[in-house]
Amino acid sequence: MKKNDNNKLIDNTAEDEFNLEKMEKETEEMLKLRFLTKENSVFARTEGGFVSLKIGDEFYKRVLVYRVFPFTNPEGYISIREPDEKAKEIGIIKDLRNDVTKETREMLEEQMRLRYFTPVIEKIIDIKDEYGFAYFDVVTDHGPCRFTIHMGGSSVVYLSDTRLMITDLDGNRFEIPDITHLSAHELRKLDLFL
Amino acid sequence: MELLFQVPNGIKSKLQLMPSEEIRYCIPHDIGKDGTFRESGYVIVTTNRLIVTDEQEITFQRELALLEKIKCEPQINCGILIIKEYEQEYEKHIARFSMHHLIRASFLAKGAELLRDNKNKQVVSREREKSCLKCGRALPGTSKCPKCDGKAVTAGKLWRLLKAYKMQLILISLVAMASSALSLYIPQFQKIFIDTKLADKSGSTRDVIIFITVMLTLTLFLILLQVLKNWWFVSLGARLSMDIRRKMYQKIQELTLSFIQDKRPGELMNRVAYDTGMIQRFVQECLGHMFSSIVTMVGAVTIMLSLNVTMTLISIVFLPIVFMISSAFRKNVRRRFHLQWVKSDKINSSLQDVISGMRIVKSFGKEQSESDKFNRLTNEFAAIQQKNEKFWASFYPLLTFIMSMGIYFVYYFGGRNVLGGTMTIGTLVQFNAYAWTLYGPLGWMTHLPRMITQMVTSLERIYDVLDEEPLIMNKENAIKHEIQGEVEFKNVHFGYKSYEPVLEDINLKVKKGEMIGLVGASGTGKSTMINLIMHLYEVDDGEILVDGININDMDIEGYHSQLGVVLQETFLFTGTILNNIRFAKPDATEEEVIRAAKMANAHDFICKTPDGYNTYLGERGYNLSGGERQRIAIARAILNDPKLLILDEATSSLDTESEYLIQKALERLTAGRTTFAIAHRLSTLRGADRLVVIDGHRIAEIGTHNELLEKKGIYYNLVMAQLDMQKMNSETS
Repeated sequence: MKKNDNNKLIDNTAEDEFNLEKMEKETEEMLKLRFLTKENSVFARTEGGFVSLKIGDEFYKRVLVYRVFPFTNPEGYISIREPDEKAKEIGIIKDLRNDVTKETREMLEEQMRLRYFTPVIEKIIDIKDEYGFAYFDVVTDHGPCRFTIHMGGSSVVYLSDTRLMITDLDGNRFEIPDITHLSAHELRKLDLFL
Repeated sequence: MELLFQVPNGIKSKLQLMPSEEIRYCIPHDIGKDGTFRESGYVIVTTNRLIVTDEQEITFQRELALLEKIKCEPQINCGILIIKEYEQEYEKHIARFSMHHLIRASFLAKGAELLRDNKNKQVVSREREKSCLKCGRALPGTSKCPKCDGKAVTAGKLWRLLKAYKMQLILISLVAMASSALSLYIPQFQKIFIDTKLADKSGSTRDVIIFITVMLTLTLFLILLQVLKNWWFVSLGARLSMDIRRKMYQKIQELTLSFIQDKRPGELMNRVAYDTGMIQRFVQECLGHMFSSIVTMVGAVTIMLSLNVTMTLISIVFLPIVFMISSAFRKNVRRRFHLQWVKSDKINSSLQDVISGMRIVKSFGKEQSESDKFNRLTNEFAAIQQKNEKFWASFYPLLTFIMSMGIYFVYYFGGRNVLGGTMTIGTLVQFNAYAWTLYGPLGWMTHLPRMITQMVTSLERIYDVLDEEPLIMNKENAIKHEIQGEVEFKNVHFGYKSYEPVLEDINLKVKKGEMIGLVGASGTGKSTMINLIMHLYEVDDGEILVDGININDMDIEGYHSQLGVVLQETFLFTGTILNNIRFAKPDATEEEVIRAAKMANAHDFICKTPDGYNTYLGERGYNLSGGERQRIAIARAILNDPKLLILDEATSSLDTESEYLIQKALERLTAGRTTFAIAHRLSTLRGADRLVVIDGHRIAEIGTHNELLEKKGIYYNLVMAQLDMQKMNSETS
């Protein structure tokens, strides 16, 4: 079993009397790309709603699941990390669609749904602008929602020619995957930001 | 920030509160289990339970005493509330928030842990709400909503500002009234002349000359009055804004650093510069105009009505149309100009990007593609600007034309009346003149709502600063104390945010003249400890005593004037070296300055600069190296003869020679003074009497260099690590 407390490094160095070799080894380790597949790793749901991981004799009672390319390749190169502040990388799943079992894929996707929250705007009901702020009333894939953005600055950003990311006052993000799919009516409401 | 939302009654009854149990925190959690938005879920913390509800049901509840960990873990654009029970191995997430409630949730988690530990301390959030909880409107960085606060309150605030200028206001309004009355009288005078001299051809050339002379005098007098009025309004506006600026500047200096650090950089600057400018413009342009416009309009309409009711109505019949058109286009106009503004902003930022990154652009040979990009942007901007200007140039003349359409009807009916003998020519001319006087102010009034709103927002933002109570204030009968140099920390707890402790239970007694080195990894709270000694922040719990007196009871300015501070980033003011050294003691003699500079090893390099101590530092002034700036800062500290000395990374990022010189300077400076020093290079702390190692928000080790080395703890490891690094460096070089 692996301990994950903050004092780990300090405790260890106290025993080993800090040495260069060890530091170099750790730096080397950081360079390594360890790929996780269904052959070498076992993921399992925990009672608390998270996921645990066993690789060989390593066991992590909870792991973090990060997307490395959240916009351009959300299902490739999934980084699995330790759940403390350092979030050291345990390994990478190169392709979520092929490299792991269906169950694993489902539970990891569940974790990522918990971690990432970027509702996709499906319908723009109304946009009202008043004194430097714009008030959106939209329907998203996570349900209907109202939010407010700053008119100035970079609240609305193009991720590609047609893909839009909107950040509200609180820091919530909303995505419009393809503005060409909006109706003419909706586009007109949005055109102030385009 | 609100941490205690109203618990809906339906749920409240389900909670089955015990008699002694009370609700301490209640916040909404707005993302459901299935990931959809919802509005009817709450996380409630009572004095002994943590409860999560969804719709009308309780979905989770535990006694606080059973929970080992309650934590809000930020995710990407959302957050989850996690608990771990003592009994169980695993962590469990029990509620999820959008960013709207994330900060609230962090406060709640901390509050719940405090309750569990039987610390009856209420967590309060000083963070501002981003949008009004009542009306949902975004707040312009203020604590009160300009809309919900009510116009009456704002009017009261404006009056508070204007009150000091009561006499001037009365005087100005008298002048404004006189000028309105005069402008209303001129058509009347014309009418009499036309009817009695021209219409019946009874007048002579002499009458015409007299008429012209009187008209000229009246008009000149009118212009004089208007100029006078404008002058006074301009000077009132300027004086008023100067007044506000001065008050704000004073207030900002009084306020604690935390207030300033909570704001975005530049925001306070904006408030002092831009918002006061808005008030000035409002007083100058609106207040003056509004007053005389209203008097003129009321007067003109009254006279017109007394002359002919039908014609009055006809002359203003087109006004509603103009209003309709202009309000229909208002959005369009705003959009056009917003778009133009966005484009020009893009050009600016792209310019800044390229110019500041010129080395990269050139070294990668990307000049052509960058200038293509820029060309595209300027073309877009030019196209929009052209379109807007064209629109502007045709829209307003059109509006004015429609507004004055009424005149043609006035001529039609008036002409017929004149021909029919029911109206004199003079009256028609007079009527016509009044109609024109009416159109000007009416057109202007369409802008009024926008200007008032801007003024209200600016006023709110100004009063937000002015009404802020400074957290650290001189108490009544604050003690003026000459510091001897004994410092004691007693159970000190502190965090910049009340849910995030930075220092916990710090106990430390420092003798007079002792030098204390603060050691620890970055982010452990060394600088925070120094900030507390400097009394820039108030401790959350416990007390800091200097010579046995709580620093809260001391006169703040008196206390600060006895501190000497040398920081990592040496801030030198724009001005001469002399002024910079004299900053804390403006009346120091030249000899004292030289002595201080010599002590700081700064005298030599100062002498070598062309202008010596009069060398001008600043944007276009003489450039000093990091080490030289540092030594000037040390001279500044020495000159003040401080009783308490604070060195925060005073020797980092220097080359070896300057480090040696500064080291020497510091040794002289610290001799006999109580000193707190932070340094990453442990060699800097050689001279320290005791070292305090901070780790995990607490004092982990304390003792002399040798004692700590023997202990083989954190300090030992740090020393070894630095030795190894040095070895490595010397091997490679």
